[in-house]
Amino acid sequence: MGAGALMRRAARIACAFAALALAGCASEVQFHRWPAETPADNNKADIARMQGVQAAAAASSKPVAPAPEQAASAAEPAAQPVTPDDAPSLLTYDPWGRLNRFTYRFNTRFDEAIFLPVANGYRRLVPSPLRAGVHNFFANLTEIDSTINYTLQGRLHRSVRSLGRFVINTTLGIGGLFDVADKLVHLPYEPTGFGTTLAKWGMHPGPYLVIPLYGPSTFREGVGLGVDYVTLYEINLADLYRGDQSWGLGVANAVDQRANIDFRYYSTGSPFEYETIRFLIVRKQLIEDAGLHKSKPLPKSNPEEPAGK
Amino acid sequence: MRLLATFALIAYCSSSFAEPAPLQLPPAPGPATGLADSAALRATVFGTPPQDIAPLPESVPMLEMDLALPWRRPVPQIFWFDKRLRVWFSAQKKPAPLAIIISGTGSDANTSKLSVLRAVLYGAGYHVLTMPSPTFPGFIVSASTTGVAGDFMQDGQDLYAALGEVVAHLPRKTQITDVHILGYSLGGANAAIVKSIDAAEHKLHIHRAVMINPPVSLFATIGRLDKLYAVSLGNGDAGIERFYQQLYAALANAYRASGRVELDEDFLLGAAAAVLKTDAQFSAAIALSFRIALSNVFLAGDMYSGAGVVIDPAHPPKVGDSLEETARVLRSKTFAEYFTRIFAPYYIKRRPNGTVDSLIAQNRLEIIGDQLRSDADYYCLTNSDDLILDKAELAWLKKTLDTRIAVYDHGGHLGNLGDRQQAADLLAMLDGRWERAH
Repeated sequence: MGAGALMRRAARIACAFAALALAGCASEVQFHRWPAETPADNNKADIARMQGVQAAAAASSKPVAPAPEQAASAAEPAAQPVTPDDAPSLLTYDPWGRLNRFTYRFNTRFDEAIFLPVANGYRRLVPSPLRAGVHNFFANLTEIDSTINYTLQGRLHRSVRSLGRFVINTTLGIGGLFDVADKLVHLPYEPTGFGTTLAKWGMHPGPYLVIPLYGPSTFREGVGLGVDYVTLYEINLADLYRGDQSWGLGVANAVDQRANIDFRYYSTGSPFEYETIRFLIVRKQLIEDAGLHKSKPLPKSNPEEPAGK
Repeated sequence: MRLLATFALIAYCSSSFAEPAPLQLPPAPGPATGLADSAALRATVFGTPPQDIAPLPESVPMLEMDLALPWRRPVPQIFWFDKRLRVWFSAQKKPAPLAIIISGTGSDANTSKLSVLRAVLYGAGYHVLTMPSPTFPGFIVSASTTGVAGDFMQDGQDLYAALGEVVAHLPRKTQITDVHILGYSLGGANAAIVKSIDAAEHKLHIHRAVMINPPVSLFATIGRLDKLYAVSLGNGDAGIERFYQQLYAALANAYRASGRVELDEDFLLGAAAAVLKTDAQFSAAIALSFRIALSNVFLAGDMYSGAGVVIDPAHPPKVGDSLEETARVLRSKTFAEYFTRIFAPYYIKRRPNGTVDSLIAQNRLEIIGDQLRSDADYYCLTNSDDLILDKAELAWLKKTLDTRIAVYDHGGHLGNLGDRQQAADLLAMLDGRWERAH
């Protein structure tokens, strides 16, 4: 089947979903079946996580040999701890606010009508081991981009790790379906992208940006996402990104990503949700930036200057 | 931006001048909660440790129901996403009793606390229906007949009407053998009041009601929360800014030290201990979470009642307008201010002989005191160190419910929700086994 035929089929499916969603809008009661909750497993995971946190806290109280990358950076002058006065303003830089709010609303409607029902259907109908395989497969493809970007960031140790993960998972992990690198040799998945490379090179997050279909981000991360995609498209591993199957794979990738994000637009019920998410996303990026530049003092904060500018 | 801020300030000041004689809320009775004891504060923030949670089932089905209620009031533009009441239903495959759970202050029908209660009850063989708090914006917009949330009886009636619609639209094959209601925090009081309304109207045939960590006097409780906020964060914007700056610095330092490449949930969980250290910070976190809930209730109440405290009724904000300034103004608004400037003026006008004192009295559990005393189907689970109660209120609960209350020594506010003992007691109460054992 050609790419055109696939696209037409995808468009027809999307129209059917939209029609169904619109038909539902008028009715008095709408029912949405969600994947079943798994409280026993969730509780087990919470306990394991709590034990992990406690073990890490106990370990951090003892002096340990620094990780190779940290050892390398030990030569740099010691980092000044971040003080409360370094915190950015409570305001957030959002010169494209009106457009962003429009996009946020569009994303909400799209998510409720199409994206979320499809992701929920996928979670309900596809058994969890199969979903894990799909997730690992797409995660493995991003290792190529991570390898390149860790190199560009000058974090060669991590670059080699990403490459190692890619080689191990592609071979032993049968094309990336199994994350054996994490399970067997304890190399966890730690992706990076061009957005982080730009941050490492000193670029500020820039204006807050809500990306259509993707969600809340910043200008820098938006550029990063675009470059990441172009990189993978140009490399075109096994013709996955340009071949006939590329549309189907793109949709599967999107559904897999959505199914793994525990977020629902306006579940807060609050008209301030836009402001809240914007606040959190930009602070998250600024803290991650502070982590990238350990030895650099943070820029002096000014309560009048919106964060991210 | 500064221009907008100036306008908002002028509008705010002029609206305060326009008000003739501001109503006053008397100080909360009882000792100042101030900083509650350290263990209670930590339990309240961290919740039940996962290893203490009661045994839970492997799987709980989840059906979301979104209802358009016929009595919904015109929806302000900025609440466009809240038009439908969203509730969750988990059905057993066989005939079973229905447990209705009401969420806590400002919360929706699918919180992590509700997930625990839902799992406990579903595992014990109940159909489970979870409802949002009547103070959740999604409820205020879709189901409230006034838009001014927080009144025990009014919220109870709105909840009762909404429940009638929800139960009537449950999937047809659901077979219900009995109906019980419970709730946590404010939802506990809501649940008991709904049962008392049902005792007169007989539409739902609610059998037993369990209140988990309920308030006894709403206005004493909100007075305590204002006090907790004032003690830990001070008044106005400076305290909250300082708290934010402290959190930011602590998180940034913990992140730098962690060597991670992303600030994710695992990191936050591990960093919580590094970020919140002092009692004042724990108190601030609790006070702030209630304040965030208040800002939505305040905004909705202001718009629906047309009080004009933060929103000019002639020029309501539209979809796409920035709400940053409104959020900033609301940050420093107290529960007391909601009461005196929006709630009391609204209800005093609509209730014969309404006064501040009568409103305070109408928002005590004592309004259903006779039922609580004489009807053996009301129960309560609470903690002796719950920071929303004082000693006198706890004594009132014990005296009123006699043997139908379990009081645990520790847990603060909801910090032992779903632990083994509490879950076992909850099930004994709902099953009617409690009285025989006590």
